[in-house]
Amino acid sequence: MIEVVDLTKSFPISRQQRRELAAAGSPAPGNTPAPAPGAANASSLQAVAGASFRCSPGRVFALLGPNGAGKTTVLRMIATLLRPDGGRISIAGVDALADPVAARRKLGFLTGSTKLYERLTAEENVRYAADLHGVGAADYKRRRDALFGALGIDAYAGRRAAQLSTGMKQKVAIARTIIHDPEVVVFDEATSGLDVIAARAIIQLIQNCRTQGKTVLFSTHIMSEVTMLADDLAVFHRGRVLAMGGLEEVLARAVDERGQRRTLEDEFVRLIDAAEGVRT
Amino acid sequence: MSSPAWVVFRKELRDTLRDRRTLVAMVVVPLLLFPLLMVGMAKFSQSRAAEARDKTLAVAVADTEASSGLAEFLRQEPGLEISEVQDVTALPERVRTEELDAAIVIPAGYGALLASYYPAPLQLLHKSSDDFDIPRTRLEQALGRFEQKLLDERLRSFGVEPRVLDPLDIQRTDVVSSRELFGKLLGGLLPYMFIIFCFTGGMYPAIDLAAGEKERGTLETLLSSPASRLQIALGKFAVVTLTGFTSALLATVGMYVSVAQGVEGIPPAVLSAIQSVLAPGTIALVLALLLPLSVFFAAALLMLSLYARSYKEAMSVISPLMIVVVVPAAIALAPGVRLGLVTAVVPVLNVSLATREIIAGTADPLHLALVFASLLLLAAGGMAACARWFSREDIVFRS
Repeated sequence: MIEVVDLTKSFPISRQQRRELAAAGSPAPGNTPAPAPGAANASSLQAVAGASFRCSPGRVFALLGPNGAGKTTVLRMIATLLRPDGGRISIAGVDALADPVAARRKLGFLTGSTKLYERLTAEENVRYAADLHGVGAADYKRRRDALFGALGIDAYAGRRAAQLSTGMKQKVAIARTIIHDPEVVVFDEATSGLDVIAARAIIQLIQNCRTQGKTVLFSTHIMSEVTMLADDLAVFHRGRVLAMGGLEEVLARAVDERGQRRTLEDEFVRLIDAAEGVRT
Repeated sequence: MSSPAWVVFRKELRDTLRDRRTLVAMVVVPLLLFPLLMVGMAKFSQSRAAEARDKTLAVAVADTEASSGLAEFLRQEPGLEISEVQDVTALPERVRTEELDAAIVIPAGYGALLASYYPAPLQLLHKSSDDFDIPRTRLEQALGRFEQKLLDERLRSFGVEPRVLDPLDIQRTDVVSSRELFGKLLGGLLPYMFIIFCFTGGMYPAIDLAAGEKERGTLETLLSSPASRLQIALGKFAVVTLTGFTSALLATVGMYVSVAQGVEGIPPAVLSAIQSVLAPGTIALVLALLLPLSVFFAAALLMLSLYARSYKEAMSVISPLMIVVVVPAAIALAPGVRLGLVTAVVPVLNVSLATREIIAGTADPLHLALVFASLLLLAAGGMAACARWFSREDIVFRS
């Protein structure tokens, strides 16, 4: 389970960034986080402002938002890469702020921009992750054989990552992410920039994780992925949760003035426009 | 179960050893290039000097009075081919175009001045060259002997024996040991090379292990593992230290092997001095100085590399740092700069000076202790700063 309560995070901004923001006028909707409330002459940007949500085991939670909404910041805080300014994060019962190392043991984290160590073989890349997670030799062999077999990368195990195709690299990255059998798996726009075959491997992985009872959190701005994969979702914008609930529940609430049901995309746009004060 | 720092170290070392660029900078250059350069330069200098020494010099003598006797005298000197000419105006051009190695012009009035005991003018035309000016020196020595002959004749005409002008027969004995002499003359050059290898050996791994990892997008994966920031920093730090130190060590090995084999081209006196310097104790002491320096370099390199957003930016930030390293190392080459209470605590300069003293066998234990203490403090400070750097979000996720 992932439990996030009242999470806040702001980043200091440089003089140059401040000048750029001033030159651009007010931040474009969805592209720039809002200035930190109360921050003197906008010396910092509020990336996340009081976000709360809960992801349950055996369910897939989608964090849906436009670019720059603060999704990556939230996921990086959950992965303990960034420390929040306020709030609480619990990963499979571990307080991630009090004991980040223990929290990371329960976690697998994959991003769309994640690459492999090109001079290491596929096997060495995965073994490195296993060693860092303290996976024993016997467990490693068992999980490695199962994963490499399922992903179809056994024949390429001894090949250096630099010699693998993009699809193969993504599969090795998947194996590396879950070699330690984490209870919680976090994907940050993991299919972004991938071709159909590689993206399908990620989607398959997410579905398998749900079947295995893992907690899955993924961020995306692709509606079709949400409708295909998510059990629960939160619409995220300017560091705040605009709407949250089960997928069916959110869609059921999405009814226009004529009583007609909106698509998820329409509902998403309506929520963002409403938050920006745009009349529709 | 291995410690995460050890896991990071093993992986980074394996990764680094598969990088050709690092291998060239860390192994090939110090192990082969350094000895080859040293031997090559010695051979080249020797052959040029021998050529200049053995060469028959073409010298023109323009004696306007035809009575000096200089041309006849010089013809008796070995290695000189004397031609007598009348046209003085063409001589500078003939020397410049190297048709002649030198020319001597005896102007009008030479005989009269000589006869009246005034210094008689004599013009020597030569061209400064890259062969150590040996031709000019040889000719000046011959002219010196001619002058001595004139002086002896003059003294005898006064009934004075020339030896009365030499009341003292000074016999010089230089008690400096060949090791000390070598240490003073060349001892500064060796640490200069070692320090540079220490730096360049760690440079590429440092850039690859921090900025490279950022650029590849693998840093996030590593940071989301159970390894703490300190453990990650330590693992990477140890690899950069090891590569820098190994590079300096291999430079020492390369030099030792080439000298131990008695490579041709190095003069025997220099060879014997180098052999006396390269005693195991001396090498151990020099390497002991280089270890904390490698630690400090590793910390500085990793910090700058982590600060950079990309491999390219790291290169542009770190490359100018080479000057910061080279300058204090080069200051140690200047005459008169000695290891003292102040210079012993100046980073890089202290290593360079201490190495020179160690090689010369004249190191003061107090100064050496001060050098070690300041280096250890510097290394510890660098390590602590580097570990803190890895925990800073604004550095690690700088964009």
